[in-house]
This record gives sequence, structure tokens and C-alpha cells, in this order.
Amino acid sequence: MDVIISVKDLQFAYDGQPPVLHNLDFEVSKGEFVGIVGPNGAGKSTLMNILCGQLKPTAGQALFESSAIDTYSKRSLAQKMAVVRQAANPIFDFSVEEIVMMGRTPYSGPFGISGSIDFAAANKAMELTDTAGFAGRSLAELSQGERQRVYIARALAQDTEVLLLDEPTSFLDWKHQVGIYDMLKRLQTQQQKTIIAISHELNLTGQYCDKVLLLGSDDYYAFGKCAEQLTAENISRVFDVEVAAALWDGVSIFFPRGKGA
Amino acid sequence: MLMVVMVVCARFGSREISLAEAFSAWRSGQVNIDYQILVRARMPRILLAGLVGAALACSGVVLQAVLRNPLADPYILGVSSGAGLGVMIASIFGLTWTATGISIMSLPAFAGAIGTVWLVWVVGYFTSRGRMTNLLLAGVVVNAFFSAIIMFLTSTATAHQLRTTVYWLMGTIAPQSYATLAVTAGFIFAGIAVLVVYASRLNVLTFGDAEAADMGIDAGRVRAVILAVAALITAVAVSISGLIGFVGLIIPHGMRLIVGPDHRRLLPLSAIAGATLLIIADTIARSSFGAEELPVGVITAIAGGPFFLVLLARYSRKVGWA
Repeated sequence: MDVIISVKDLQFAYDGQPPVLHNLDFEVSKGEFVGIVGPNGAGKSTLMNILCGQLKPTAGQALFESSAIDTYSKRSLAQKMAVVRQAANPIFDFSVEEIVMMGRTPYSGPFGISGSIDFAAANKAMELTDTAGFAGRSLAELSQGERQRVYIARALAQDTEVLLLDEPTSFLDWKHQVGIYDMLKRLQTQQQKTIIAISHELNLTGQYCDKVLLLGSDDYYAFGKCAEQLTAENISRVFDVEVAAALWDGVSIFFPRGKGA
Repeated sequence: MLMVVMVVCARFGSREISLAEAFSAWRSGQVNIDYQILVRARMPRILLAGLVGAALACSGVVLQAVLRNPLADPYILGVSSGAGLGVMIASIFGLTWTATGISIMSLPAFAGAIGTVWLVWVVGYFTSRGRMTNLLLAGVVVNAFFSAIIMFLTSTATAHQLRTTVYWLMGTIAPQSYATLAVTAGFIFAGIAVLVVYASRLNVLTFGDAEAADMGIDAGRVRAVILAVAALITAVAVSISGLIGFVGLIIPHGMRLIVGPDHRRLLPLSAIAGATLLIIADTIARSSFGAEELPVGVITAIAGGPFFLVLLARYSRKVGWA
């Protein structure tokens, strides 16, 4: 399979601080679903900001289709990779459709006038995410899970090969967590999207992702197929807690084990 | 709507005039007194009020969007008083605004306005680590500081200058020549046109710098352009009409309720609504107390102050103070 993103000997440190990312090496192929897990402060969001071009590596390389990510213009990168962040509530009450249409910004002309291609892309994105039903409503009226789907719809409207998501299921209950991951899986298999998702949900990551990057807060990391790398031993090493594992329906599931009682 | 207001407001004033009379004078070519008042005094003033209202409203719209603060307004943030201070300092050094009109006085006003925008941005940004909550406070402090300097300069002015200065500071739409009007209109229309071109990028920018970058927008550059243009149109407005507050607050909020937050619609419609509001306010200012005129800034402040408090109560939860 074609490699779409490759990270070679990547290091990153914020100004005047010790490095966050140490000599990271991994490759993501087209159409893969990769999960990134790790404790708070391990540099998951930092890595994502490097992958989407907002931070430059201190050393080493981050490549998109064999060119360094920071050599792309912001606009052309926004046509190749879309990002779903842990979004704060917007200040103004834009409607769902208006927000999804903003995903067309990387393609807009100098006056920002939307054409039929833009509306078609936005409508398709809303159908795929099941958000078309509240297109005219304001984001403030929606539940957390619905809002997250709207932001994913906006990313889909960008019509990119790659989707980057930062904790897409935080603040969601189980039903909506599974709903989001089911949707991402459909986007991978039916729309051939390459998906990279940061998550704290080890068991969802194990069920849905092809590969996993376990990022420790020191210089330790593990990358590979979930079945091989998402193990009680590696998880325990990365999170610094005792981990219990069980095999259920052919899928490994993990629990943190407390020391008390 | 704007047209109707302009025509209706032309009728009112310290002296009743008949539009029919004035119109017949124009048709027949025989100048009468109603025609004189309409063309020499009323029309320029109405046009000017419209231009100033449009500029302040659009400035308010974009300041709220760029600074991600729904309570921003060129007057509250001190941009207007920064421009005013520029004008006052320049006038002390021998330039007078009545004689030189817009071409010269707008320069110190622009310098004052853009300096204030920069100062408020830097103080607000760095004291709140990228969150926008301190911005308003920084603006209020800067505003108070500049106002104090303006008051100091006013109190040292000679008695003759005093009344004009004080009236100008309170926001007064004084009749201007058509040449001045044309230049003012040129600057303000050009400024608003630039803002409209940036409208769709402005929409994305309200979600934050990172999200704007995700959409391929250079947030820093867009913000710099928009703040500069907002400072420019505010400065042009202030240099001829003094400090008129709250237009940039009332209009954007009112229009968002009606047409929604999309800046591609919001900006042009706020321009029209701002023009309409200030024409009405100025008509009230010049006609409600007989021959004695009120500064229009007094009218907008009396209407806008309570409005600001309502907004403050509504948004302080949402913005995350308290």
C-alpha cells in the first residue's frame, strides 16, 4: 500500500523546554485507520499539530506524500488533510449548514462565493455524518455528540484524503462514542479515507483501528498493528499503571487495575 | 429603508422645510430658501451621518469577529479615543480640522486608532495567554487613559476652542463640504469593500486561529489586514465626527439576530443599518431641542449604555468570565 504520511526520526520541543517527542518513526498508508493513545502530556496533540503543519519539527522529518509537510502552503495542505479538534463553542450562532460550508474555504475564490460544487460537497458530508436533518439549526441547540458529527461533516466537506481527529469521543456517552467510531469506520471503508484519531479509549481504538501508536511521556513509544502492539505490557509501560487484559470475541480488552482495597 | 429614512429625516430640523418646495426649485432652477437649507445643510449632514454610521457599524462587526469578543466596539475598546487623541495632538500643533478637513486630520487619527488597536491586542493577548477575555479590560483601560489625556488637553485649550472641541469630542455631525464628503465616502466605501472581500475568511476566524489554519487561512495576516481596515474607517469617521459610541455595538448585535452571523450578509447589511441608525439619531439630535443642538454622541450613548449592560450580562457566562 502507498505510504501517505511518514515520520522519520521526529523530535519536537517547545521553546526553551525539554523535548516532548523523541526520535519518532512511523508510516501511515493510504486508507489506514490509525489510533494514537498515551497519557496526558505525552505529546499526542503536539504530534497532530505537526502532522497538520501548524508546528514545525525541531529535528527529523514529517512527510506527506514524500514532501515535508511544512513545505506545503496552508491552503494546499487544507485540501489534503482535514482536522477535527476538541472544539470550543463558537462565539456566534452559525447554523450547521454554514459551519459545514466553511469546510469549503480551502477551495474558495477571492470573494468567498460558494458554487454548486461546494453545496454538493457540503450536502454529501452532512448525509455521511447524518447531520442533514438539523442543517438549519444553530450549534448551540445540539447535543455534544451531534456537534462532534457537525465538525466531522465540516472536515469531510474539505474533501481531503486524510482526516485527523483529536479525541473525537471525549465528553460523549457510550452510545455516541460507538456511533462516532462506527461512522469513522464507514468513512474508512466506503470513502477510502485515511484516518488518524487521538483517543483515550483504548478499547475502542483496539476494536476499530488497524494500527496504533502508543506514545509514552518519556522517549518510549510503540507503533504497529493493534493485535501486536496494543498489549497489556505496552499499555502498562506507557500509562504507568497495572493493566488487566481479557480476550472477548477475538478482541483484546483492557482495564486499569487499582491498588486499593 | 435607508432611502426612506434619508428623505424623511431631511424634512426635520430646527426649521421646517417643504421637500416639495425644494424639489420645485430644483426643477425650475429658481433657488429658494428651502432648497438652500436642503442642499447646503441637510443633505451633506445626512450623508455624513450615514457614512459615519456605516463605518462604525462595520468596524464593530469585524472587531467582534477578529477579537472573538461579542462586546467589542471601536468606542469601548478605545480605538475611537485613540483616533480622537491623534486629532487633538495634531490640532494643538497647529492643524485645524475645520480648515483642512479629512485629508490631513485622518492621518493622525489613523495613527492613533491603529496604535490603540495594536496596544489593546498585545495587552489583551499576552495577559490572557491567547484567550480573549482580557481584551475588553485592556480596551477599557486604554480608553480611560486616552480620555484622561484628551480631557487634560481640552482643559488647557483656550475658551474659544473649548466649545468646539468639547462638542466634537461628544460626537457631532457638522455639515461638511461636498468635497470632504466625497473623500470620506471614498475611504469608507473602499474600507467596507475590503472587509466584505474578507468576509468568508472572517467567518472561519471566529472559530479560532488553529481552526482557521486547518481551513488554509493565515490567521495572523487576515487579522492584521482586518484590524488595519477597521482602524482606518474608524479613524476617518472620528476625524470628522468625534467620538460616537455604541453604534458599533448595537448594530452588529441587532443585525445578527435578524440575518445571522455570516459576515458576507452581516457586513453590508450592518453598513446600511448603521447609516440608518445614525441618520435617525442625528435628526433627533438636531431637531428635538429647537435651535439648540445636542451632540449625536449623547443620543447614541444614552441608548447604547443600557444595551451594553444587557449584552454583558448575557455573554459573561458564555465567554467564561465569572
